[in-house]
Amino acid sequence: MSNVVVHRRSLLLGSMVLAVAPVAAHATSDLGKPAPLFTATDSNGKSWSLAGLRGKIVVLETTNHGCPYVGKHYRSGNMQAQQREAAAGGMIWLTVASSAPGKQGYVTATQANEIVAEHHAAPAAVLLDPESAIARAYGATVTPHMYIIDASGVLVYKGGIDSIATADSNDIPRAKQYVRAALAELLADKPVTDASTRPYGCNLKYAESA
Amino acid sequence: MSRLLAFLVSLVLALPAAAQSVVTTDNVRAELLSEVSQVKPGEPFWVALRETMQPHWHTYWKNPGDAGQPTDIAWKLPAGVTAGPIVWPTPTKIDVSGVVNYGFEGDVLLLVKITPPADFTGSTLPLAAEANWLVCSDVCIPENGKFTLTLPVGPAATPADPATRALFDAARRQVPMESPWPARFGVAKSGDPFLVVDAKGLKPDTIRDVYFFPAEWGAVANMATQSARVTADGIRIPLKKGDAKAAMPQRIAGTLQLSEKTADGEHRQAFDIAATFDPTLAADAAPLTASGDDGETLALWKALVFALLGGLILNLMPCVFPVLAMKAASFVRLAGQSRRDIRRDGLAYAAGVLVTFGLMAAVVLAIRAGVGEVSWGFQFQSPIFSLLIAYLFFVVGLNLSGAFEVGGRFTGLGQGLASRSGTTGAFFTGALAVIVATPCTAPFMAAALGFALSKPAPQTVAVLLAMGLGLALPYLALAFTPALQRLMPRPGAWMDRLRQFLAFPMYASAVWMIWVLTQQAGADGVLYALGGMILIAFAIWLLRLGTPVSPTVWLRRGVAALAVLLAFAAALKVEDQPATAASASGGPSAGVGFDGWERFSRARLDEAVTARKPVFVDFTAAWCITCLVNERVALETANTRHAFEQTGTVKLRGDWTNRDPEITAMLKELGRAGVPLYLYWAPGADRPTILPQILTEASVIATLTSSQQAKR
Repeated sequence: MSNVVVHRRSLLLGSMVLAVAPVAAHATSDLGKPAPLFTATDSNGKSWSLAGLRGKIVVLETTNHGCPYVGKHYRSGNMQAQQREAAAGGMIWLTVASSAPGKQGYVTATQANEIVAEHHAAPAAVLLDPESAIARAYGATVTPHMYIIDASGVLVYKGGIDSIATADSNDIPRAKQYVRAALAELLADKPVTDASTRPYGCNLKYAESA
Repeated sequence: MSRLLAFLVSLVLALPAAAQSVVTTDNVRAELLSEVSQVKPGEPFWVALRETMQPHWHTYWKNPGDAGQPTDIAWKLPAGVTAGPIVWPTPTKIDVSGVVNYGFEGDVLLLVKITPPADFTGSTLPLAAEANWLVCSDVCIPENGKFTLTLPVGPAATPADPATRALFDAARRQVPMESPWPARFGVAKSGDPFLVVDAKGLKPDTIRDVYFFPAEWGAVANMATQSARVTADGIRIPLKKGDAKAAMPQRIAGTLQLSEKTADGEHRQAFDIAATFDPTLAADAAPLTASGDDGETLALWKALVFALLGGLILNLMPCVFPVLAMKAASFVRLAGQSRRDIRRDGLAYAAGVLVTFGLMAAVVLAIRAGVGEVSWGFQFQSPIFSLLIAYLFFVVGLNLSGAFEVGGRFTGLGQGLASRSGTTGAFFTGALAVIVATPCTAPFMAAALGFALSKPAPQTVAVLLAMGLGLALPYLALAFTPALQRLMPRPGAWMDRLRQFLAFPMYASAVWMIWVLTQQAGADGVLYALGGMILIAFAIWLLRLGTPVSPTVWLRRGVAALAVLLAFAAALKVEDQPATAASASGGPSAGVGFDGWERFSRARLDEAVTARKPVFVDFTAAWCITCLVNERVALETANTRHAFEQTGTVKLRGDWTNRDPEITAMLKELGRAGVPLYLYWAPGADRPTILPQILTEASVIATLTSSQQAKR
């Protein structure tokens, strides 16, 4: 019982310290807190603002088309299927291309659209984030790194797409699909069971740190 | 394109699975190796997947860090044969633009223990493995390979060729050993855990690059840097809470890595630790965990105030007392002087203090930049310094006693009243105050000094200068406040008597410095120091004989110079002492065990060598981590014990924790500056073989048995 007390207090204080003094090179986003706001332009030139999406559940998926872990979920069709399910449920799925220019996964708007077409992908939009600003704000370390923001703008999930951290698409049927499960719980107005899981994949391709 | 090619190459190479033990891709050459060339049923043996990466490519540790994936091996083995888990070597931290990875660059062996059943009947043992690994530079490529290795089975296990065995030996050296110390963790107010490794009696100056690799994702974040603190009480590492949503677990496991500086260089060591949650660990003792900017500024501000107060208090410390005496003498001299002169004297003294503190800060910074951590009061770790300060106190004492008067420039203490030379004297009095005050600062100012020494250069200098200001403040106040000066008595005959009296604290200080010297250089040090003092007194006496025009003046001056030279030559005799053992602390050597070993003594050694017995000597110390590791991995293993027994080797262990003089002498004889030192006398040999500072079981056994064979 004392454990629970310690944990709650430390979580609260821990997030306060982080809020006051972000020390790491990349911020970390806190569950249960308002998700970091951003505005970005998508591959069709449309501007998206997280604040403007209040009232909808938003999924963020960092991507790098050259990354074998991203490839695992697109070759198998897993990512596209979940994008379609989300859209059908009225949710906004945003794929975020955060690789810095010159790095693997950096795309122009045209390239981004070609990749979407090639994969028959179905995100609401592909956001172009060449300065890795969104990735940095959320503390993303890998591709794919997944985040879910609820209708009130609170971060409710962060971590991997599923539970088996390999690049082998044969593992997908056996894996627990964390994002799909979390979205189902959100739609049913239940708290997310696995709200923070181990993200896995390739290093997110940030610009070289100065 | 190259990725595709790599994939194809690996595919092609993996296809002929007949007898393939090497798989080469664009980025990795992977090979399945065995430490035995023939297997004996029932006897476990080691195999390894060796990964040799192209430059700048890396594969991953069991906890890959913020990204990546560890190598995994799936075995296909004959019925009854089992393969253990991968025994991971200590990883390297690879920081890719702020994303922290744990992995391996260059060449790595992933060890796996294979156990064939005792009733294994086949004539060969085919090992088949399919390995998957992710190799990354700035991009990541998942690769895999199928390996087979077929080993003959026979009545005895045959070791592989020496080159392969050497690879395995080196690989085992990279595997973290079980921690010799218990570990605990607490949770700071911020919610971040901090690790406490109860490694008592370490020498903080010799340890650096401390890093804790968490064994798994979740409780602890993968950090780009950790600000570990090493003290004589143990190692404290502030960590960051990980992303797991669950409450902090009861145990945090991982690998602790550190580098220890020994006489022969730096040795990297790693220990597997499992820290248990200890709710009693005070969070307040983790001052540097929350490294928010606000916290730091506040701490600097506080440190400056503490340093100023500390400087003030220093005036009351025994170390500064002799300088206080000198200062009192000079104030006495100034009594009745003009206010301007008194002010100038106070300023000169303060300048002396501040300039010297500044110089010491520069020295500390230079050393820190050069060799890493330094401890405050480091100059007192040098016996030669202690000796020179003892001489200085002695000479000043003689001067105060009236044994001689100093003419010329250094009139601050003497008869001259010229304001210029008085100013110089006051300046040097200030400098001297700082030099002798520093050993006192260590215990009383630990917090502020610890802060100063661990901070960037400007902060170090600021804190040290604040301390200097504190030290000089009372004199400045006196010099600038006529009301205070009026309290001072009029000049008179009492001035001479007081001056003579003040000689005694100086002598007492000289005695104290010689006591410090005994801690550093042993009984011999006292002989040289006191002999040197007699020579100095003799030289002073010679110089005062007769008049400057006397015909023997040059002879007397020559002899006096010779005497002084001899006194300083004594300094060289005490100088060549080990720096690592210079501290007089140490405490009881609880860390050194003698189980199965005899205590080293010169007599026992000579006796055993004369009796033509093989002798192995282990010089160790409780604070020497490298020694500890060698004992664990090479000297105290079942195989080595067996070899010691078989060869009838006399095992002597010398505990140098408290600088045993007999061991010191022995080290000196062999031209060594410290431990670890391992010596082996083959039967009948009159000279020992000096073993390397890094031992392996194989190398020790080879040393023990080779001479055995040579004898036959």
